[in-house]
Amino acid sequence: MKKAVELVLLLLLLFFTPHIMGKRYSPPGKPTLTRCRSPEKETFTCWWEPGSDGGLPTTHALYYRKESSERVYECPDYHTAGENSCFFNKNDTSIWVNYNITVVATNTLGSAFSDPVDVDVVYIVKPNPPEKQTVTIMEDKGWPFLRVSWEPPQKADTRSGWITLIYELRVKLEEENEWEMHLAGHQKTFNIFSLRSGGKYLVEVRCKPDHGFWSEWSSTSYIKVPDYFHREKSVWILLTIFSAFIFLILTWLLHMNSRSLKNCILPPVPGPKIKGFDNQLLKNGKSDEIFSALMVSNFPPTTSSNYEDLLVEYLEVYVPVEQELMQEESKDLHGGCLKCERSTSDSDSGRGSCDSHTLLMDKCGETKEEGRHTDRASSRMLTEAQRHQKGWEKDTLTYAHGDMVSPDMSNGRVKTWPSVFSPLPQYSSNPLDKQSSLEMAKQHCLSTSSCLTQPGHSTKEALGPSNWDFCLGNKQPHLLHPQTQVGRQLQAHSEVNISNIGRKQAPAGLQSPALRSTEYVEVQRVNEEDLVLLQPVVSGCGRIEGYPQMPKGKDYSKVKGVDSDNMLLLQREVMEEDWWTGNCYTSSTVNTTQKPTACIHTAMPVQGDMALAMNGYVDTATMCTLPTC
Amino acid sequence: MSYISFAVLTLVYMELSMRVVTAPICAYGQAGCHAPSLADLFERVIQQSSRMHGISSDLHSELEQYFFPRKNVLGKHKCHTYGILTPDDKENAQRLGREQLTDVILSLLAAWSDPLSQLHRSMSQDQNQNFNDHSYSKALEISDMVHELREGVAIMAEKMKLLGVLGNTMGYISPESLVPSSAFTFYKQGELNSVDHHDLLYCFRRDSNKVKNYLQILKCTILPGLDC
Repeated sequence: MKKAVELVLLLLLLFFTPHIMGKRYSPPGKPTLTRCRSPEKETFTCWWEPGSDGGLPTTHALYYRKESSERVYECPDYHTAGENSCFFNKNDTSIWVNYNITVVATNTLGSAFSDPVDVDVVYIVKPNPPEKQTVTIMEDKGWPFLRVSWEPPQKADTRSGWITLIYELRVKLEEENEWEMHLAGHQKTFNIFSLRSGGKYLVEVRCKPDHGFWSEWSSTSYIKVPDYFHREKSVWILLTIFSAFIFLILTWLLHMNSRSLKNCILPPVPGPKIKGFDNQLLKNGKSDEIFSALMVSNFPPTTSSNYEDLLVEYLEVYVPVEQELMQEESKDLHGGCLKCERSTSDSDSGRGSCDSHTLLMDKCGETKEEGRHTDRASSRMLTEAQRHQKGWEKDTLTYAHGDMVSPDMSNGRVKTWPSVFSPLPQYSSNPLDKQSSLEMAKQHCLSTSSCLTQPGHSTKEALGPSNWDFCLGNKQPHLLHPQTQVGRQLQAHSEVNISNIGRKQAPAGLQSPALRSTEYVEVQRVNEEDLVLLQPVVSGCGRIEGYPQMPKGKDYSKVKGVDSDNMLLLQREVMEEDWWTGNCYTSSTVNTTQKPTACIHTAMPVQGDMALAMNGYVDTATMCTLPTC
Repeated sequence: MSYISFAVLTLVYMELSMRVVTAPICAYGQAGCHAPSLADLFERVIQQSSRMHGISSDLHSELEQYFFPRKNVLGKHKCHTYGILTPDDKENAQRLGREQLTDVILSLLAAWSDPLSQLHRSMSQDQNQNFNDHSYSKALEISDMVHELREGVAIMAEKMKLLGVLGNTMGYISPESLVPSSAFTFYKQGELNSVDHHDLLYCFRRDSNKVKNYLQILKCTILPGLDC
């Protein structure tokens, strides 16, 4: 009993052990026909995929049935085509016949049938790849191209027309990733153009029947294109030459137009230019030549031919008494500005001169306006006197009529204050105007170069020889210099407005010298530039009672001429002397030479002996010499 | 109005003056005909058959998509041209000879002329509505093609006979003896007597392939050259 139980237990164990270990046998799984292919439309092969074998050795079998026949055949050849395959040879292959194929897997436990597949060989043709592929390099007019040629696969009978194949090839460079596809059709050769010089190419070919599958790609053919560098090189050479040519032309054009371009891009900065100034001379370093270039050759005249040009006609200024009062006030304010005294009607009195102690025209300008009435009157008179004078006087007149004082006196003449003469026409007929003209004259009687006063109408005839003040710059060129004091003063003086015309009428003293008041300028000094610096006479002159008081030690003298030693020759006129005694004025002399060391000389006048070439006056009362050197 | 009439007159004149005259293919070598060479004939014929086969394949694949499960075969039915013995092998085809091959071709083409012409009508009447406009036009086209091809092959055969390429032993067997009288009705199935267009097209597709293949064999047999 125990043994039986043990046996049963043992059997049970043996029986269930496989189950305990997890292993189970089962009938095979269902196989599946994967594909059937025919390489030449004469044979074909079918492959299947077996299912699970169920743990037991499984056999597979392929059965097929032809169209419209119930007879079942088994695969004739399981080995030729490999494992899990069935090869149908020529005898077993019929075209345009439908094959119904089934695969059966069998093991000890069972069998499994695959799904049947209908196959018509015509439609499962997949040829072999083309064979005998060759790639050669050929040249077409110097440009290389690839010629690819091949043979149809050996098995495919295209000779009899049984199969008709179309071909396709692909090309790529070795370093590329993308293939270039070309359909060749039925032909067995193909040309590839546009090759890269020195490139290495890969070529492959495949084929397909009219209605079938594409074959696999043939084996790769490698070909290296030779360097047809010379072709490309010639192009580069041509290009280089052409660009060089263009470059040369551009350079030449640039060079030709360099100046204009320079002016366009970098316009030249205009430099200062001085007329008559030669830079080259400066660079050469000869100062004499330089400055000689600046000089006007004819100035100042070394010859003493035209002394008259240098002389200033002396004008008398008549100022009425009331005006003199005002003048005094102005003088007090100024402390030594212009002082014009009443001048007599004597045109020779030289009252046109202005006493000036200072040369500050600004100061004078203010006070001038008040005292200008005297100037005007005298100036008017003076202008009338001028008419009788020579041409050069008229030039000054013309200057006067101009609106500006031009420092550029012609022939070194005295500067005039044009504004002095501008109201001239007004006063021509009016004794009142005389007064105002006097004022004007006084107004413009500044300490600079000239002080021209108008003589009154009444003393027209008496103004023949009018006295001119000798205010002159040394050299005309220096007058050009705007920086000189004289120039400044001149300008300031010219701007003086003749406003105070409506002064009290000068009494008829216009006719009389007593009414005249003249202002005089005193020569202060001569500066280094040969300029005579004038200043209005300070309060050396007292009340003008009709006669301008003369500062002490100052006299008028009529200039007779300039001798060869650059000395002024004064002529004392008796009449004037008496007349001028009360005058306060200064006389300024003229340097007739260009020498900077020229001094203002006043020669002792000879009484009445010398005859002046012109009617220029130098007022010297007692032949005093003014130290000016 | 005058402009229109003038334009019309001009067009008419141009039409008459520049008429394109077609030169018919005279296989019999009649006077005034420009006879094409045999190679040209073969070329045309093969191209035509290839085109015909392509269209029939397209038509068949269009129909197939409407069938589930995939029905690639006739089922139990046959094609109505089963009576025409066709070589199903290369050796058999080469063994057949060119004259018989030509006969087979002509028989096949003759057998399909009528069913295809009825196909178009039948397709329009189909209640399943499985066809679209392209299918109709294709069906019409292949029916025309079959007629043209048949005439072309006949002319070519005549030419070959003239050239001596083709022997006179060939006897043109009328398709009626080989083919069921009512070929089209052969494909009718079911109680409703509806034609299985799918089967018809399946058969035609195969037969057009045969025709094409036979023509190519014929060509390479008679004119071995570049393409063979």
